[in-house]
Amino acid sequence: MSELKRTILHDVHVELGATMVDFGGWDMPIQYPSGIVEEHLYTRNFCSLFDVSHMGRLVISGPDQVAFLQHVLSSNVLALDLNQAQYCIIPNETGGAVDDAYLYRFEEGNYFLVINAANIDKDLAHLEAVAKDYDVTIENISDKLAAIAVQGPKSKDLLISMLNGAQPTAEPVRNALSTQTIDGRTVRLAKTGYTGEPLGYEMYVPSEDAAYFWKRLMDLGARPAGLGARDTLRLEAGLPLYGHEMGINKYGEDTQIFAVPLAKFAVSFAPAKGDFIGRAPLEKQAAAFREIMNRDFSHIADLPYKIRPIALLERGVLRAGFPVYRNGEEVGYVTSGTMVPYFTTEGEGLDTTILDEKSRRSIGLAYLKSDLLDDDHVQIDIRGKRMDAVVVPYHMRNDAPPFARPILWRPEEEDAAAPAENYAAKAQELLAKAAENHTWRQRDCINLIPSEMTPSPAVRLLCAADPAGRYAEHKKVKAFYDSEVFYYQGTKFIDYVEQLLSAEMAKYLGCTEAETRVLSGQMSNMAVFSALMDFKNRVDRKRNPVRLGYILNNHIIRGGHLSAQPMGALHDYVAVDPVTEKPMVVNFPVCADDPYRIDVEATKTVIDQYKPELIIFGKSMVLRKEPVAEIRQFVDEQNIPTTIMYDMAHVLGLVGKHFQEPFKEGAEIVTGSTHKTFFGPQRGVIGVNWKKEDLKYGLWETIETRTFPGSVSNHHLGTLVGQLMAAYEMNCFKDEYQSAVIRNAKSFAQSLKEAGLDVAGDPSMGYTETHQVIASVGYGCGPEVAERLERNNIIVNYQATPNEEGFTASGALRMGVSEMTRFGFGPDEFRTLANLIADCVLHGKEVGEEVKALRANFTEPRYCFTDKELDGALEQLSKVLGL
Amino acid sequence: MNIPAELKYSKSHEWVKELEDGSVLVGITDYAQDALGDLVFITLPVVGDATTAEESFCDVESIKAVSDVICPVSGTIAEVNEGLADEPEKLNSEPYEAWIAKIENITDKGELLSADEYAAFLETCEEA
Repeated sequence: MSELKRTILHDVHVELGATMVDFGGWDMPIQYPSGIVEEHLYTRNFCSLFDVSHMGRLVISGPDQVAFLQHVLSSNVLALDLNQAQYCIIPNETGGAVDDAYLYRFEEGNYFLVINAANIDKDLAHLEAVAKDYDVTIENISDKLAAIAVQGPKSKDLLISMLNGAQPTAEPVRNALSTQTIDGRTVRLAKTGYTGEPLGYEMYVPSEDAAYFWKRLMDLGARPAGLGARDTLRLEAGLPLYGHEMGINKYGEDTQIFAVPLAKFAVSFAPAKGDFIGRAPLEKQAAAFREIMNRDFSHIADLPYKIRPIALLERGVLRAGFPVYRNGEEVGYVTSGTMVPYFTTEGEGLDTTILDEKSRRSIGLAYLKSDLLDDDHVQIDIRGKRMDAVVVPYHMRNDAPPFARPILWRPEEEDAAAPAENYAAKAQELLAKAAENHTWRQRDCINLIPSEMTPSPAVRLLCAADPAGRYAEHKKVKAFYDSEVFYYQGTKFIDYVEQLLSAEMAKYLGCTEAETRVLSGQMSNMAVFSALMDFKNRVDRKRNPVRLGYILNNHIIRGGHLSAQPMGALHDYVAVDPVTEKPMVVNFPVCADDPYRIDVEATKTVIDQYKPELIIFGKSMVLRKEPVAEIRQFVDEQNIPTTIMYDMAHVLGLVGKHFQEPFKEGAEIVTGSTHKTFFGPQRGVIGVNWKKEDLKYGLWETIETRTFPGSVSNHHLGTLVGQLMAAYEMNCFKDEYQSAVIRNAKSFAQSLKEAGLDVAGDPSMGYTETHQVIASVGYGCGPEVAERLERNNIIVNYQATPNEEGFTASGALRMGVSEMTRFGFGPDEFRTLANLIADCVLHGKEVGEEVKALRANFTEPRYCFTDKELDGALEQLSKVLGL
Repeated sequence: MNIPAELKYSKSHEWVKELEDGSVLVGITDYAQDALGDLVFITLPVVGDATTAEESFCDVESIKAVSDVICPVSGTIAEVNEGLADEPEKLNSEPYEAWIAKIENITDKGELLSADEYAAFLETCEEA
């Protein structure tokens, strides 16, 4: 027997009392004295260390590196930006896998490929044979670099503490990479892993530093975990293991790549990949895969089996190799199976609490006939006994960081027969609850949600008056010199209101035209994107319309609007870049020392490189003015054809000299929602600043037609009348209101800071230039703190900061002063409020009654007309309406 | 390694506790549980079934594998420790409390070792 290979950390494992086993020719720790169950649970609960230095680490360099990798890997290497990693498969000629691998791009000039330990010799032979036709070098640096996986909810904290507070990767997203220095040693960090943990890193360090970092991480509280736990963790996460879910299967066949669920992400047919190895059979598999996903099994022979998660419903343990039956017919076999432990939970949704109590479940992955669906029952032959199991979509989810959450299969509950209903009683209950809620929100609570506003009594009354409930479709007709032609009768009043409203909004925004029929900020953006695309295609309508090319916007994680993202309103309007196979969106770079501020100089470079068709300013987490004027000047000087849009949803009510005057600074389109800092009911608005003689006036006309009939038929006439009153109020009171908002926000931020909270933003400009104040309350604590404040009558948003993984991991509170400013709060009240928040958040005090008392004197909206000023017209309308 | 003096042991690492009524309790030893690792499942024997000395009468499963438990005696299963079905980890945490089965009508006791003999036997196991 040949000598087993050892990693650089071998002696460390032995010293820790690990049970060592032969794993693919390596003497590796299967477990430490704590055991696999504890190691698994500690990973899910805290943080574990895995020595993965046995895996193969190759550096691919040379002039043909990209062409070579495009040919030999399944993925699109050109989609990989610097400091990103991607999962990929090394396909063979027949559509099976030589191995699966991870490709990293830590630096310009080469690629770093990590392959399975047991396949190193086979992979190298394959890669080197292919490399003969390319000018590339493949260097095996496995001996020079050690690899340590640091996985679990605390992994990020541990790395941040080793990095003296710096973030491990520039963005908190999976597959992000960075090269950093820790304690004078160079460390390559990848936000990757094989445990399914939403927070997990793999670090590559010079071999001589491996033991140092292992000890350092253990001193910080991480514990070692062996290959046993690595296997149960990856199985729970549904991740494939070569030799089980890939490679030659139990039936002696080479498992097809599209049988593996991750193939969808790992295989690219981008034109840039050319005729890569296995392309033809993979295209055939992919075609069958697409049909199967639509439950069309006519080409199932091209992809007869798929790897699926299964859960055992009876007492027992699934094991690799067990046959699987459906109605007596063998339909596959278990590829991996075991019993995995988990922590039980109580509560639901965000209130879910992870308990100390453990349980276990028998789960597996199985190679199953492709026509089996989720929730289908199958029978597993467990040593002669047939036991019931079920095909499940997944065993675990990692979309609520910082924890991976086990998902247990539950049968659908049958609805109990509905009892006889007493609808009058239901109606009464609804009215009582609405009254209770209204009183709580309007009398007892202090609302700090920056995207909300209480409209004035006049606005509210008008919203309820006729024409609420009416229709008033209308369109400009060229034959009548662009007169608005209405499709319904009884609409003369709303025609009058709309004309006045458009004029008031254009005056407020400082532009030539305003579209007010849009019902929300999101719809405003969709109408604009749709119009931009339509305008782009207007000269040739006989072909499929071309989508929008590169768009520059604020990244959602840095506060960008959801409604300006491909996952939001851009979804159907932005093209996919054929080279990178990603939506053609680039983001504003931000300043290293202030992630809330756009880096203007770096932005210019991005604009120069991508020549974006559309630039979208504006954010929903916004502390700074947007550099509209600087970017306008740059694109004009450089003659870059583009359209500059500012989504002012949050700051619509701040347009003016106290904040920004977007059209004066060079924006062409402003969109917004009218109920955040603005005084209106919940609607949208689009303003543009083109004149009739401008080429882009045609785009304005397209925006109008993409509003009606493009987006709305019934444009909610009641709130439209209310909106006109709101516009009057804003144009009348904006100077005092806006200056009070900005003053209050700076003062509130300062008071929170003095009360001990960690306030974001630049202190030299009073932390904020808007109505918003952002305070950090600790990673992942946002939801809990926000809930606690709500119990104390303070309503805030919890919010993920640019360094956090998403809403469940959010550690910040986003607060806005606009609504309470409207109710008359000044710096004194905000100081009192800041102290109450600090008492509640930092000192665990109950402050609900004090909050109620503070609110009690501020229940009538200001910056609007009193009934006295209106000669009792409000009272009169109220009587007419019978309200 | 814990080897209580009052128990008897088999070379396949089960313990036997002789009760006054002539029946016995059977479990796995501390050495066995340590070697098997975290136990996550047990298929208990069935009450009323006959057992044969030195033949498998139930199995335990760790995360990695299934292992047979050998019955040290021939007899009839009188009772099984149902609690282990829900808490197989007791086999690891308290191996000498976690009896698997009570066996009565003993006809053959196979080759049982005293605590000292088992300790000596374990040393030969370690060397091997």
